[in-house]
Amino acid sequence: MASDLLTPAGGERHLLLGNEAIVRGALEGGVQFVSCYPGTPSSEAPDTFYRLSPKADYYFEYSVNEKVALEVGGGAAVSGLATMVTMKHVGVNVAADPLMTLTYIGAPGGLVLLSADDPGCHSSQNEQDNRYYARLAGMPVFEPSTAQEAKDMARDAFKLSRESEQPVMLRTTTRVNHLRGPVDFGPLPEQKDVVTYSKNPRRFVPVPVVARMRRLELLKKLEELREIAENSPWNKVSGSGKLGIITSGITRAYVNDALDFLGLRDQVMLLELGMSYPLPEKTISEFLGKVSRVMILEELEPVLETEIRALVQRLALNVEVAGKMEGFPHLPRNDEYSTVQVGKALQVFVQGQEGHAPELCAAEPDLPMRPPNLCAGCSHRALYYSVRQVFGPDVAQSSDIGCYTLGILPPLAAADFLLCMGSSISAGSGAAKGIAANKDSQGHGLPVLAFIGDSTFFHSGITGIVNAVFNRHDILVVVLDNGTTAMTGHQPHPGVLTTMQGDNPAQVDIEAIVKGCGVDQVRTVSPFNLNKTQAALEELKEMSGVRVLIAREPCVLFARRALRKTPKVTAYVAEQGPEVEACLEKLACPAFYRDGSDVAVDAEQCTGCMVCSQITNNIKARKRS
Amino acid sequence: MSERTRIFLTGVGGQGTLTATNLLALAVLDKGLPVTSGEIHGMAQRGGVVESTILIGGWQSPRISHGEADVLLGFEPLETLRALPYLKPGGTIVSSSEAVPPVAVSLGQAEYPPFEHIKEKAEACSGAATFVPCRTLGLEAGALQSGNIALLGAACSLGLVAVDVDELKAAVAKHLRPKLVDTNVRAIDIGVAALS
Repeated sequence: MASDLLTPAGGERHLLLGNEAIVRGALEGGVQFVSCYPGTPSSEAPDTFYRLSPKADYYFEYSVNEKVALEVGGGAAVSGLATMVTMKHVGVNVAADPLMTLTYIGAPGGLVLLSADDPGCHSSQNEQDNRYYARLAGMPVFEPSTAQEAKDMARDAFKLSRESEQPVMLRTTTRVNHLRGPVDFGPLPEQKDVVTYSKNPRRFVPVPVVARMRRLELLKKLEELREIAENSPWNKVSGSGKLGIITSGITRAYVNDALDFLGLRDQVMLLELGMSYPLPEKTISEFLGKVSRVMILEELEPVLETEIRALVQRLALNVEVAGKMEGFPHLPRNDEYSTVQVGKALQVFVQGQEGHAPELCAAEPDLPMRPPNLCAGCSHRALYYSVRQVFGPDVAQSSDIGCYTLGILPPLAAADFLLCMGSSISAGSGAAKGIAANKDSQGHGLPVLAFIGDSTFFHSGITGIVNAVFNRHDILVVVLDNGTTAMTGHQPHPGVLTTMQGDNPAQVDIEAIVKGCGVDQVRTVSPFNLNKTQAALEELKEMSGVRVLIAREPCVLFARRALRKTPKVTAYVAEQGPEVEACLEKLACPAFYRDGSDVAVDAEQCTGCMVCSQITNNIKARKRS
Repeated sequence: MSERTRIFLTGVGGQGTLTATNLLALAVLDKGLPVTSGEIHGMAQRGGVVESTILIGGWQSPRISHGEADVLLGFEPLETLRALPYLKPGGTIVSSSEAVPPVAVSLGQAEYPPFEHIKEKAEACSGAATFVPCRTLGLEAGALQSGNIALLGAACSLGLVAVDVDELKAAVAKHLRPKLVDTNVRAIDIGVAALS
């Protein structure tokens, strides 16, 4: 059902995912260079660029992390290429260092940063609001609310960035990235404008004397960009009356739907901010001059509200401002908004009270849940099983970000603390200091393990290893190397054997890196071999200092899809009994099920890893029929 | 059917819930109606709950909250039960009757609610609730996953989702890979026939 996003002519209409629409918009905007680090909810944007890249005329790369992606992209933009860099919201934290300076030196080729925020933490460790980053760095912001706008704003972001030579943020939220809507295509540029690279160290090398000058240049540019925001067609007023609503992002969709649904449209004047920064102060103050009360509707932080309240104070405007800062009903600072919720706030604002809520079907209590779970045949389950066998519960486990975080659930219980991508080794190093200080009367402290995946290792684990070696930390690192970026959809990274577009000609070897960093105590095993894995863990447990176990076995889904490995055998229970019960309890493989008082294995789900048959002889392998 | 329709779809990861959602949204767009659709993925590994939405007739938001869905399409009965609060009073349900048990149930740590209970609750909460055996219908058509398309066929035949059976078949022919078309057109017929 994939649409042809490379169609040169305009005029076609396609149903697109928000992230696909962004790709089409970038193409219409003349994109020449794309770098990224994948992460939900942004991933389909770079994955689509990657899929199209053999037939398209832009350069694409999966960079090893977001900082590198923005540095590679920043260099490309300095060299004159129209560049897009994509990441999820927390990725911008990683990329923040180059970002804060890129806005000073500027981007002659143009650079659009896709920041995909995740209100509601659908698949993230926080719900930070990256509109703050745009203000911190000094960059214009577009906030689409539909698939069509995602496409058109991506295109316009490129145009603005090239004209102003300043980086531009395209700020989305999960609902925008993952909605589908009709998109009318515009034409692709027949010829891409060429910006030639020219040396100019007094602009591009921000030594203090240059930085001071560029800071003034940035402030001047922001005022010019504010003027563009004042006249942007993306900032529009509709309706009339003495009651005003100002809103941006996906909240615009909720406001518009609620106004129609509740029949309130003719009672309010609405200002929608599609290009929301620099704040179009003239547009807003004119709007505020026409209303007696205004309500600011935005998800997460009161970013617009703070600025608009400041504007009201500065211009001494006679208007009453309603919003989340004063605790207005139904406008929390956390989680996503919805049409219902925004509708209730609108009713309180316009009518003084909420409407009558219809009686709903009560949620059925205590239904069995379907929590995210490691797949049947996942190599992480096998590794964690061995860790439990060797260490029991008495170990402090520094976890990291990837599928393997799902090992948090019992019976594997393989995560005790976690900060961010790549934190496991360094956070574990620090924790080992405190834990060592809390030894029991026999002088035993908890050993500290760090779990890190292969893609996360390349992302930002290597610096943790180097630091641990240099500072002589006492930590056992387990690299769960499944040969792909599994959690976000099997994107390539430097260590992969093969990709959608052929074998990896420059495979970077994790074991060689670890040894090169100065770790002597390194073992490499297949976690599917329980004896060897547990023997290696026992051996490393007795050592001190920095120790690394590389547990290497391809992700079972990746093995099937990319490596074309199909299961040859399936497990079956040859003899029931307490050993088989114990295997089910301790391994918790989803291919197992209870059949009356017996335990059985679902051959459809079993991938033939045969870890269970190493736990008990009463489970055996048989050829698949 | 009201001019503006909001459809909430729910199922289990790996069942093809999102494929069915995308196909129905395409059929609506092919008919020239305004449509927006939403889905949440990411942590939804295989076996997790997958919820999606289709809003027809001029909605901008891709979200459906509790009490807003005109139609609930459940590709798995436990998930239909879980999603009942999304249905508006008097809304309509079309659901599979065949369970895909959660891991906790398979492992004997939780109980799957009896089908009769699910059916009673669904009927009590809605204007009309129809159950079809998705898995069986899919296998009859030639592929497990096409059970979802059979359910869509039933929903079209009941006049619930803005497109009729022929329009859904046309969307299958236009948007699915050629080798999948016959099976899924057959699944639609089987789904429609399952109603009688």
